[in-house]
Amino acid sequence: MTKIAVVAEMAVREIVRRRMVLAMLLLLPLAFYLSRRSDHTGQSIRFLCLGLGWALSTAALFAGGSARGIEPRLRLSGYPLMHLIIGRLCALWTVGLALSLPYWLLIRFDQDGVRHGAIALIMALTVAVSVPFGLALSAVLPRELEGTLLLLTIFGLQMLMDPAEEATRALPFWFSREIGTYAVDHTDSGYLERGLIHGLAAAILLTALVATFSAIRLRHRAHVNLC
Amino acid sequence: MNPDVWLSALVKELARHGVGPDLAAHVVAEAAAHLRDSGEPAVHAFGMPERYAAAVAESIGRQAVRPSQGGVVRLEARGITKRYRRRQILSNVDLTVRAGQIAAVVGANGSGKSTLLRICAGLVSPDRGTVRVGGSLGYCPQAGGTSEFLVPEEHFVLAGAGRGLSRARAKADGRARAAVLDWDPDRRQQARFLSGGTRQKLNLVMAQIGEPDLLLLDEPYQGFDRGAYVDFWHELWRWRDEGKAIVVVTHLLNQLDRVDIVLELT
Repeated sequence: MTKIAVVAEMAVREIVRRRMVLAMLLLLPLAFYLSRRSDHTGQSIRFLCLGLGWALSTAALFAGGSARGIEPRLRLSGYPLMHLIIGRLCALWTVGLALSLPYWLLIRFDQDGVRHGAIALIMALTVAVSVPFGLALSAVLPRELEGTLLLLTIFGLQMLMDPAEEATRALPFWFSREIGTYAVDHTDSGYLERGLIHGLAAAILLTALVATFSAIRLRHRAHVNLC
Repeated sequence: MNPDVWLSALVKELARHGVGPDLAAHVVAEAAAHLRDSGEPAVHAFGMPERYAAAVAESIGRQAVRPSQGGVVRLEARGITKRYRRRQILSNVDLTVRAGQIAAVVGANGSGKSTLLRICAGLVSPDRGTVRVGGSLGYCPQAGGTSEFLVPEEHFVLAGAGRGLSRARAKADGRARAAVLDWDPDRRQQARFLSGGTRQKLNLVMAQIGEPDLLLLDEPYQGFDRGAYVDFWHELWRWRDEGKAIVVVTHLLNQLDRVDIVLELT
C-alpha cells in the first residue's frame, strides 16, 4: 500500500505543478459549455462532459508520457508492476473527480429541469474512462503530438457523428450522449442502462489495456535470472 | 594565503580525495612543520591545497591499489549478442563482476556500452545470451530517469519507497549521498530546473538509495565538474570496499579511475 500511495502522491504532485495544463483542463469544458448554453441546454451539458473527457484524456496522455522515463528504474528499485499502474490510475482518477466537482456544481445551480444524479454519473464514468484512455494512447503512441492528434480525431468524431449510428458505439464516450439524453430529455431508463453498461465496459476494457501495455513494457526479461 | 587557512584547506581536500585520517594528519603535520621551519609562503612551498592533496592521493593510489579478487558473483553476463537491424552491436560478450569489484565498460561511441548495461539491467532483451543477477540492483541511466516536476527529495522518497525505506529515512539517505557529491539539494527546485551535472547527481543518488548490492552506472558523471568527478570515484571505491559490485560505463580511463575489471567493447 505504501508504494501505491507514494506513486499516486508523486503523480498528483506532478500534475498539480503543471499549472498551465491545469488551467487549460479547467477552461476547456467551460468553453464547451458556454458555447451552446444560450441556445441549447442539452447540447451544452453534453459538450461539457465531452470537454471534460478530452481534457482528462490529454492530461493522462501527458502523464503517461512523462512516466515512461522513470518507471523502468522504479521497477528495478523494487516496485511491483501493479503498484505503478494502480498508483498512477488512482492519482489521475482523483484529479479527474476533483476537476469534475465544480462542473457538476455549475450544472446543479445553472440548469433546472435536468436529472443531476445522471449528470454526476456521466462525469464519474467520463473520469473512469478518460484516464485509462489517455494512458493507453500514451503506451501505443509514445510521441505526445501523435497522441494529441489522435485524441482530436476521436473527440471530433464523438461530437460530430450521429449517436444513433451503430458505429458510434465503438467510440469510448458514447455513453455520455446516451446518459445525457436520459438526463436532459427525461427519456426512459433504457438510455441510462445502455449508457451505464457502455461506460463501465469502456472503463474496464481500457484499464485492462493499460495494464497489458504496461506489463509488456515493464516486464522482467526472460534472459535475466534474479537470484 | 595564510598558512592556517592553507592547512585547513589541505585537510578538507585530503578528506575529499579519500586519504585516511591517520595519513592525512601525518601529511598535514609534515607540511605545517615545513612551513614553520622554512617560513615560506604555503602556496610557494606546496602549491594550491587541492593540487597538493591530489598529488598525495595519487602517489598513495599508485602504491596501494591492486585489483580486488572480489566475493560472491553479483553479475554474470554470458554470450550477450545484440544486433540493431543489420548492425552488430554486441557479439558474444561475457562479464562477471563479484562483490567488492568495480568493472569499467569502455569503448568508443556506438560500441554498445549503454546497450550492454541495459541488457544487464533487464531493460532490453539481447538476441542471445543470459544474465544472472545476485542481489538487489541499482541502475543509473545516462539520461532521463528523473521526473521533471518533482523536487530532489521527492525523487529520494520515490526511490526509497521501492526499497522499503520510510519517507524520513529515504530523504536522509538521499541528502547524505548528495553531500558526498558536494551537492546540497534545494527543497523547492524541480528537476527540470537542475543543471545537467546536478541532474546526473540526482540520478546517481537515486540509484544508490537503499544500498543495492549491484550498481549499474551508465556514464553517471556527465556534466560533473572536476571536484564532483573526483568525489564520485572516491565514493565508488568506498562502495567497493563495503562489498558492493559496480559496473560503470565510461569513455576513457585515466589514472584516477582505478578499477578491477576493464571490459573494452569495439
